[in-house]
Amino acid sequence: MPESILKRIAEGDRNAVEDCLNSYGGLVYSIARKLLANDADAEDAVQEAFIDVWKNAGRYDPAVASEATFIAMITRRRVIDKIRHSGRRISTDPIEEIVQEPGDKGHKRIELSVEANEAAEAMKTLRPEQQTVLRLSIVDGMSHQEIADATGIPLGTVKTHARRGLLRVREALGLGGIIDFGNKEAAI
Amino acid sequence: MNEKERELLLDLLTRQATEGLSPEESRKLAALEGSADDSFDLAAAALLLSEFEPTEQLPSHLRSKIAADASEIVAANAVDKAPDASVVADRKTPLFAWLGWAVAAAAVLALGINLSMTRFGVNEVANNPPPAATPTPMTPAEAHDKMMAEPGMTVAKWTPAAKTGDMANVSGDVVWSDKEQKGYAMLRGLPKNDADASTYQLWIFEENQGDKTPIDGGTFNVSSDGTVVIPIDAKLAAKNPSMFAVTVEKPGGVVVSKREKVAALAKVETSRPPEA
Repeated sequence: MPESILKRIAEGDRNAVEDCLNSYGGLVYSIARKLLANDADAEDAVQEAFIDVWKNAGRYDPAVASEATFIAMITRRRVIDKIRHSGRRISTDPIEEIVQEPGDKGHKRIELSVEANEAAEAMKTLRPEQQTVLRLSIVDGMSHQEIADATGIPLGTVKTHARRGLLRVREALGLGGIIDFGNKEAAI
Repeated sequence: MNEKERELLLDLLTRQATEGLSPEESRKLAALEGSADDSFDLAAAALLLSEFEPTEQLPSHLRSKIAADASEIVAANAVDKAPDASVVADRKTPLFAWLGWAVAAAAVLALGINLSMTRFGVNEVANNPPPAATPTPMTPAEAHDKMMAEPGMTVAKWTPAAKTGDMANVSGDVVWSDKEQKGYAMLRGLPKNDADASTYQLWIFEENQGDKTPIDGGTFNVSSDGTVVIPIDAKLAAKNPSMFAVTVEKPGGVVVSKREKVAALAKVETSRPPEA
């Protein structure tokens, strides 16, 4: 197995930077471009995300997640910060198209992340409303209030769907976290 | 943790992973010691990857900027191999009472400790700039010097937190860029520490988190007398820092400082013009 790119970065290997950008530059940029309202914000978010990657590479634990998932997590955090300050990219697609089954949209996920496949399987076990809320939130970057407004689902119910759906996915991925919330709520 | 706290923690972790948190909510999450829990964010990231096909390529101009950022930071990774580096596992510093910081800062100011920039020998570093177009990354001292020479940086001077004791002669400066979210602390007079017994930890007081919840700026050790230059490793985005502080903590650093031993404070005295 090749040595982890992030481990090499954590050890100060400058050659690993190029490898990281080759492997994940498109991913990070694509996430930012999809979710952010303007290109300048997207570029800022990408630059900041990679700074976080360089700084936090030592935190990466391959036993917990793939590099793609770890880097996507860092990217999402930066993008969410930007969305809160600047606004998300406004989709021109009808809400029905946004929330539909992904079809073959995720066909590259095998190459990207083992957890992506597991998350996809977990998603299938969720109730349709939970799937809708998670897609609108995580894939399209909508706030809970925006989801409530767009779908007519009460805000409190949106929050409940997001929580239970995410708990289920977290459980399916074996991500215990530091706090054990148990399976009771996720199973509801 | 009681049921109410557990419920709040679950709500905050979910919201952090889906729509983000306000600074106040981040403080609540930190107070519940949930900041280090990445599991909800990782689950969200995996979900995103499961339904999303990256189709875009990183533009070359952006790639160049990122590679330039990386050169310095990754080089610092190689230098900073202190065993306590893993303290970065926490994203946010939990809520805790930082009133003592303000008291200490006020005490310092009351003592009339107002060192001029020239006293810190900034030029001492500036006299030794890196060669142009050097293929090797800048050292932290060189990067510090470069930032100090740039307009729009937030700059402050270190003053000792106590007028007696082994840290009474601490001096130096700190430079920070909001735009680049990076900075360097140059310190003189910090005693050598036994890395197995203690570590130094840097804190950033800034606008987003407020004075009660400064941002963890990373840990470092001092292994020799003289000047040390530390890259600031801010765990959160810092905005308009008003003060920096260095404390002595247990090896590995802390999430909640008891501020039992404050080594130095650097209060930002003036507003700087915005960065270009």
